[in-house]
Amino acid sequence: MRHIIRRITDKAFTILTGTSVVLLTSVLLIILGPMVWRGAKAVIFKDTIEFRKMQLDLYNRGNSEALKIETSETESFRRTVYKIVDDFKHGIDTEELIDKSKQIYRQFGKELRYRGITGKQYQKIRSLARDLRGRLQAAFESNDKKIIKENIDYVLQYRKNKYFVDTTAAEFFTLAEDFYKTIENIDLNKRQEYTASLQQIEEVIFQLLGPRPDEPLPALTMERYGATRWDLAQKLLDNLLWSQQWIQQEAGQPLTKIRVSRAEQFAGTKLEPLFGYVENNLAKMLKPEYTFYWQYFIDDSTPGHYFGGVGPEILGTLLLTLLAMLFVFPLGVISAAYLVECASDNIAVRIIRMCINTLAGVPSIVFGLFGLAFFVLFFIPLFGGPSKPCILAASMTLAVLTLPVMIRASEEAIRSVPQTYKEASLGLGASRFRTFVKVTLPAALPGILTGVILSISRVAGETAPILFTGAVALGPLPKSLFDPTRTLSYGSYDIAVGDRLAMMVPHNQYGMVVTLVLLILSLNAIAIVLRARVFRRLRGE
Amino acid sequence: MQNLELKPAVDKYQPLVLTPLEDIRGFLFHHLGRFLLFLITFSSVLLMLLIFFFVIREAIPFLMKFNLTEFLTTKSWYPEASTPKFGALSLIVGSLYVTIAALVFAVPTGILAAIFLSDIVSLKIGDFIKPVIEILAAIPSVAYGFFAVLVLAPWMQNKLGFTTGTNALNASIILSIMALPTIISVAEDSISTIGRELREASYALGATRFETIFKVVIPAAHSGIIAAIVLGMMRAIGETMVVWMASGNANQIPSPWWDLSQSVRTMTATIAGDMGETPKDSLHYGALFAIGVVLLVMTFLLNIISEYFLASAKRKSGKS
Repeated sequence: MRHIIRRITDKAFTILTGTSVVLLTSVLLIILGPMVWRGAKAVIFKDTIEFRKMQLDLYNRGNSEALKIETSETESFRRTVYKIVDDFKHGIDTEELIDKSKQIYRQFGKELRYRGITGKQYQKIRSLARDLRGRLQAAFESNDKKIIKENIDYVLQYRKNKYFVDTTAAEFFTLAEDFYKTIENIDLNKRQEYTASLQQIEEVIFQLLGPRPDEPLPALTMERYGATRWDLAQKLLDNLLWSQQWIQQEAGQPLTKIRVSRAEQFAGTKLEPLFGYVENNLAKMLKPEYTFYWQYFIDDSTPGHYFGGVGPEILGTLLLTLLAMLFVFPLGVISAAYLVECASDNIAVRIIRMCINTLAGVPSIVFGLFGLAFFVLFFIPLFGGPSKPCILAASMTLAVLTLPVMIRASEEAIRSVPQTYKEASLGLGASRFRTFVKVTLPAALPGILTGVILSISRVAGETAPILFTGAVALGPLPKSLFDPTRTLSYGSYDIAVGDRLAMMVPHNQYGMVVTLVLLILSLNAIAIVLRARVFRRLRGE
Repeated sequence: MQNLELKPAVDKYQPLVLTPLEDIRGFLFHHLGRFLLFLITFSSVLLMLLIFFFVIREAIPFLMKFNLTEFLTTKSWYPEASTPKFGALSLIVGSLYVTIAALVFAVPTGILAAIFLSDIVSLKIGDFIKPVIEILAAIPSVAYGFFAVLVLAPWMQNKLGFTTGTNALNASIILSIMALPTIISVAEDSISTIGRELREASYALGATRFETIFKVVIPAAHSGIIAAIVLGMMRAIGETMVVWMASGNANQIPSPWWDLSQSVRTMTATIAGDMGETPKDSLHYGALFAIGVVLLVMTFLLNIISEYFLASAKRKSGKS
């Protein structure tokens, strides 16, 4: 019995250890898989004609002639949509109707003044027009069809009146007729509901198709174009076809969300055909195509990363890391050389080693504080530089951060050069310095390079040290080393948490962070391959 | 037949004995060079001292004006109030809270994985698993934070019904994933340096693998494993981006203490979040540097502990 229990525990333990590794692998897959999948959508996706318009306007890419033809093709389908909406709006939007009747009245008054009629006649016609306006307003505001009919009929009996024929006032009658036609099939008590829903519909159509051709161009770039991506267009179409309502099913229960078909909501009205039309002709209005938007990696972005890519961020990251490497490489290699070749195990060397280890354990945010207090506020001003966060300060901070990584990697690389190499060189009469420069260093160089790549991958991903020393979320491209820069790492933070606008473009959020992750992972992959090759060569295979 | 003419290998014969001048020059070059190299290497020490000096220097004006015990033992942190209060206790507790919670997840998993790699599978299979750990270690912290905010937090809120998705649980899960690679690699090193003799002796006595590992290998490797845990703890306590993004940043000590679904605020997140808005030389600015000093001291102590245990692990493996 005891024997069986022991065996079972043993097997269970083996399975448990295996489970932990499976858990680890699945965590990696859960984190990276969906992230990469969604990030890829920033580069490979189905674009729409709006995207091509944007590319032409902002980056001068694409064929403007072909685009013009495509635009005119889509325009005819879009016009139908606008017409349906406008027609329905005539009957439903009380405020707009009242405004319009007031406008006609005012226009008509101006016209009368120049018609050469006597003051008395003017007064009479004017008061008649005012009466018509009042009747129309009463009709527009009423919810009772009987009252509306009375008022409209009253207005329409003046249609043939000689004072009104061929004047602006004739528009009173078209307005009245239009309105009457529209409301024939409408439940007037629902007018409020319709108006609210119509507003949402117009908003969605604006997001879907962009501003109308006759509208002035909006000031914000993000509002100038409709849905630039087909997946976004699909989502907007869903918003157009279904409205969401919160409904309490039972007293005391929490509200639940239900979807209500707008086509049903507007059943019988003039707006009803809109939904079927848009659903069937969306592709013709937007002309989706698959694209490979490689320029994502070089393009600048509009505010909030709404359009465009991560070009400045990549540039900033490369700049910071390369500059940091420039500082840390000589320091790291020389320190490693000293520790391997010259140092005996005395107290000074022990202190140095302890400091390197401590440096490796200092939290990255403390490096940020140090960078602020030392480089930004003390060191750079000491040499006459400006006392503000800048690329130089940030890269120096990162260099300090990665110094232990660099020293350890170089030390390992130098140590792994076989003793026989050095002995052969020394035996030929070369000095120790010459041996190191001519023999040890070339042999260790690939290993040191591995260390450099690993340091780069560490530096490129660090965010906390550059928070106060040189990273910004928005801003122009840096002109000198004394300007702050955008980076992929800080950009990933900002696009995830700081930027409200970016929430609307999840593909760009994921695109940014995946660019960072893939950059770092590929650097690591290169380092791993390099290390394996060096290892093989030094073993003489 | 050509007449072979023997050429001397070196054109100019040099006497083997150096002249006194050459001797002195060589001696000077050797020692000056060494000294120069030593100075360059010593820059690490210098940098370490500079870090301590400058972080403490910025904190001193605050520590002069404000009572240190009050700073460390009160809970109210209202730096921008008309009578500002700087009680960092809940921040310190918040840091320790998420760190310890992260270790609760990470230590068992990490040690089991280390045992799996060192004792259970062959080296070949291990070579397939190690890249997984290396990738986990390479992913930048901001990417983990991104995952925590945009994937894990909505999932917790919608599927698990938490009031907020950014909470201590979220932060500590992600921290544990980040601490795992450190724990696994250090623990695996120390477990695999325990010699085969110990294991074979145990097997020869009829012990199962489970018994061998638990009663022989782990006790023998305990200092390395403790060092692994301490290093993992250092990684977690100093982490900024993840906790800033995922912990919710609410200045409170969770009550009841085991309720991980509440938001907390850590020292690192406070520094990262507040520093952008404080003018230089204000009390708040100094207070943030004072938090930096607390962090620095904490990690320094943890580092000494880990050094001690790593050294004792090395000594033991050297003996056996």
